[in-house]
Amino acid sequence: MNWLFDFPFIIRINTNAIDRAVRSFAADHAAFFDGIKAGLTNFVGAINWLLNHIPWFVLVVLVFFLGWKGHKRLRSGIAYSILLCIIGMLGLWGLMNLTLSIVLAGVTIALLLGLPVGVLLSGSDRANQAARPVLDMMQTMPVFVYLIPAVIFFGMGSASAVIATVIYAMVPVVRLTSLGIRQVDAEVVEAARSFGSTKSQMLFKVQVPQALPTIMAGINQTLMMAMSMVVTCSMIGARGLGNEVLIAVNRIEISRGFMAGSSVVILAILLDRLTQGWFSGRKNAGDEQQ
Amino acid sequence: MMKKINRILGLLLALMLLAGSLAGCAPSQQAKTLTFADVGWDSILFHNAVAGTVAETVFGYQWSEVSGSTPITHEAVKKGEIDVHMEVWTDNLANYKDDIEAGALKEVSINFDDNAQGLYVPRYVIEGDAGRGIEPMAPNLKTVADLKDYASLFKDPEDSSKGIIYGGIAGWAITEIIHKKYLHYGLDANYNYMEPGTDAATSAVLVAAYDRGEPVVAYYWEPTWLLGKYDFVLLEDEPYDPELYFEGKTECPSVRVAVCTSNDFYEKDPEFVAFLSKYRTSSALTSQALAYIEDTGADYKTAARWFLKENRDMVETWLTTEQADKLYAAIE
Amino acid sequence: MSEIIIETKNVSKLYGVRRDEAAELLRGGAEKSEVLKKTGVTTALYDVSLRIPRGKIFVIIGLSGSGKSTMVRCFNRLNRPTWGSIIFDGVDLLKLSNQELLEFRRRKVSMVFQSFGLMSHRNVLGNVAYGLEVSGMGREEREKRARESIALVGLEGWEDAMIGNLSGGMRQRVGLARALANDPEVLLMDEPFSALDPLVRNDMQFELLSIQRKLGKTVIFITHDIDEAFRLGDTVAIMRDGRLIQVDTPEGMSTNPADEYVRRFINSADKSKVLSVRNIMITPVSLIKPGDGIDHALRVMRKNELSSVYAVDGQMKLKGILTLADAMRAKRESLDLSEMIVKDIPSTSPDASVEEIIPLAAESSYPLAVLDNEGRLQGIVTKASVLSSLI
Repeated sequence: MNWLFDFPFIIRINTNAIDRAVRSFAADHAAFFDGIKAGLTNFVGAINWLLNHIPWFVLVVLVFFLGWKGHKRLRSGIAYSILLCIIGMLGLWGLMNLTLSIVLAGVTIALLLGLPVGVLLSGSDRANQAARPVLDMMQTMPVFVYLIPAVIFFGMGSASAVIATVIYAMVPVVRLTSLGIRQVDAEVVEAARSFGSTKSQMLFKVQVPQALPTIMAGINQTLMMAMSMVVTCSMIGARGLGNEVLIAVNRIEISRGFMAGSSVVILAILLDRLTQGWFSGRKNAGDEQQ
Repeated sequence: MMKKINRILGLLLALMLLAGSLAGCAPSQQAKTLTFADVGWDSILFHNAVAGTVAETVFGYQWSEVSGSTPITHEAVKKGEIDVHMEVWTDNLANYKDDIEAGALKEVSINFDDNAQGLYVPRYVIEGDAGRGIEPMAPNLKTVADLKDYASLFKDPEDSSKGIIYGGIAGWAITEIIHKKYLHYGLDANYNYMEPGTDAATSAVLVAAYDRGEPVVAYYWEPTWLLGKYDFVLLEDEPYDPELYFEGKTECPSVRVAVCTSNDFYEKDPEFVAFLSKYRTSSALTSQALAYIEDTGADYKTAARWFLKENRDMVETWLTTEQADKLYAAIE
Repeated sequence: MSEIIIETKNVSKLYGVRRDEAAELLRGGAEKSEVLKKTGVTTALYDVSLRIPRGKIFVIIGLSGSGKSTMVRCFNRLNRPTWGSIIFDGVDLLKLSNQELLEFRRRKVSMVFQSFGLMSHRNVLGNVAYGLEVSGMGREEREKRARESIALVGLEGWEDAMIGNLSGGMRQRVGLARALANDPEVLLMDEPFSALDPLVRNDMQFELLSIQRKLGKTVIFITHDIDEAFRLGDTVAIMRDGRLIQVDTPEGMSTNPADEYVRRFINSADKSKVLSVRNIMITPVSLIKPGDGIDHALRVMRKNELSSVYAVDGQMKLKGILTLADAMRAKRESLDLSEMIVKDIPSTSPDASVEEIIPLAAESSYPLAVLDNEGRLQGIVTKASVLSSLI
């Protein structure tokens, strides 16, 4: 009965040859990949240096003000600064900075690549259609599939972590930038054309500002996806909270894992709420100008 | 139109029913099932296939694998969710001794205990490789203590002032010991110590470095396809001493790699447990089989059959004559 | 300077692949729907030749799908005609390079849109200054001009308001101010008032007429409303299914409709019959009670610059009207306020048609009071509002 239930046409792909080709490619262009690796590593290092030179209370006060002003509630500011203090009290401040520097580096690069790509895709239906499966793939391809190859190309450490983060987290900002610009009222675009706007004037004075709320939602999502990579990336040598979680889980140290895991959650909540609050806050300010 | 669709659907349903009932006629006396632990590395998959082939052909089991990390599969055996664990690296589980003493699971045999582990460097680092045009980079590197002099060779990409040692895998018990060793030899002065999150990451680092002919030093272990395939050298250390070892001051002993079963399974099938209790291979035999897989591209089941045939004399000591006859009748 | 500012010759706009076949059919007089069926080509415009006089309001009227919006977008090249030519002050629009086209749009024409096409992220000033901004004018100069333009449409003081906070009528004033800020030679208006409610529409029509008289701009105005067309247009062109049917003055078209279609179009509506008092009444700004003192009444009138004020009781029932002259007399001669209130005043109901109240409004020396069945004051109708609804 096997011919009924087993798929009969199987192509045997020579995976060994592909693997060898990929690996020799990595080896042959070592200088190139080492250059990228050094650049990324220095970038993460610079952010981490900066974070480590911000006194803890400055960060707490900053979070308090962002929470207060962004959400227009004193309560939010107090709650967020207390949450941040919890990470400090658990003794995970330094690890938080490490995690944050990788996340911020990844998000920065994801935005630098994703925003222009989103703008380009918004301009052409065909490009948008061609890009869709690629974006789907970036988002759904199991991370491990490119995590280990990243190590072959860029070694273990923050460079590979940043690259994996960028691949995974870039998608929402591309999608929502493209969507946001497409959704700008056609008559507004027509009006701008009728006044003799050039393409770049159209983009920067009309389309991007009009699409800004949607684009911001994309940036927020990108940030959250980058946060969700924290533990995964620790498997390829990203230091920080994720690594702490990983070690604890592997040793079945439940409380240690819980503390580090909670800190990851707190960090994610803070990043989410503070970026969201900032933008809804800006919109409200606009309404109040009446 | 609707009628037509209904008719086609009906036909499809009938076909499926027919196929199902035909399949039902195939020999199907409710097979017994058996689950092995899959901790991800290849030697355990190979041993699973060997024991699985015996279980299938001799004992009439349908076997499958449940994957998870070292501690997770260990917990699963304790709970009876996994029946058999072919490779429990006893030193890598902090609570192993306690669990055995407490009777949470049964250790039925030692699969092998002649394996090596420790800090490895590629051979070309010490001796060079004329074929690839690699000059010796550290001709006098012999022991772990010697590493002190070569920090600038094993440079940390994230910290150019220091070297880097890729230590034990995060969460493994050996990782603590390797870390103590790193401190004991004063390597912390000019090396950073990284714990890779998974063994795949270490393998990738070693393979990538090897491909490029670059220097690298990392914790690794045998039997593995990687050390079977690539030429690495284990750095020497002080002779093993059970006291000092835990402080990282001596070489690593061979790990007792045990075969364990859950309590439930141990009760349920004494006959199969009797087979498992005689199951014993060696690091060399395992590496040999893994190299066979790497060279021929065979899957684990094929490799298991090859292994059973190659080592018939040994396998016959695991089984009764009757069982052995049944096995070889099935796989010939 | 020529009297004709824009001249189009045989302008056609077809969408589809088999355009030559379609043209063949259209030449033979085929209908739009027939062409679509046979060739798959959509006929937006076919063979339109127009001469648009300088400094006048030129109205193009037609139902949806008649090609009027496509036509107006040819004048600033938002649409490029498939065939034909458009000469603007001696310049062939179809031969402009991209750079020339940008300059043309920045200096010669500007457009007002049906749903306003305003940018919600900018305030009124930023929207009005947009056209000047993209043409590269410095901030100070363009904001000065934008403010002038805002004043012209009566929106002083609203410069910093965000668009989301404005009513529809105000938004379209912003749209108009934005179009005027560039000081264009031709103003294109694509159904600019269709989205507004009737009373606001009347105001805007009036506003447009007065601005046009003041500035002498050429206006090309698109509408589907024959009353609006006749009220505004010096010349009216009527289109149907992409073809031009008739071009004439409103009078000429009324007396000499080119065909049955035009006749029916003209007869389709007469605004004054449709508009009811409810649509044109306004809420009285201030009221007094019979018991109030003279000084209070005078203060109310002075503050609101009124020459008369209505008196109502606690239930909003109308008691009468107090004129400024009577109030002054009462003050001088120390008379009681309630004696000075004129009780016999003209009133109407909110459901009466505007046409009915014309004679009443013409005779009365006060605004008409609009009362419901129980004599409660609902609003007032001034002569001016009756008049403007009839323009």
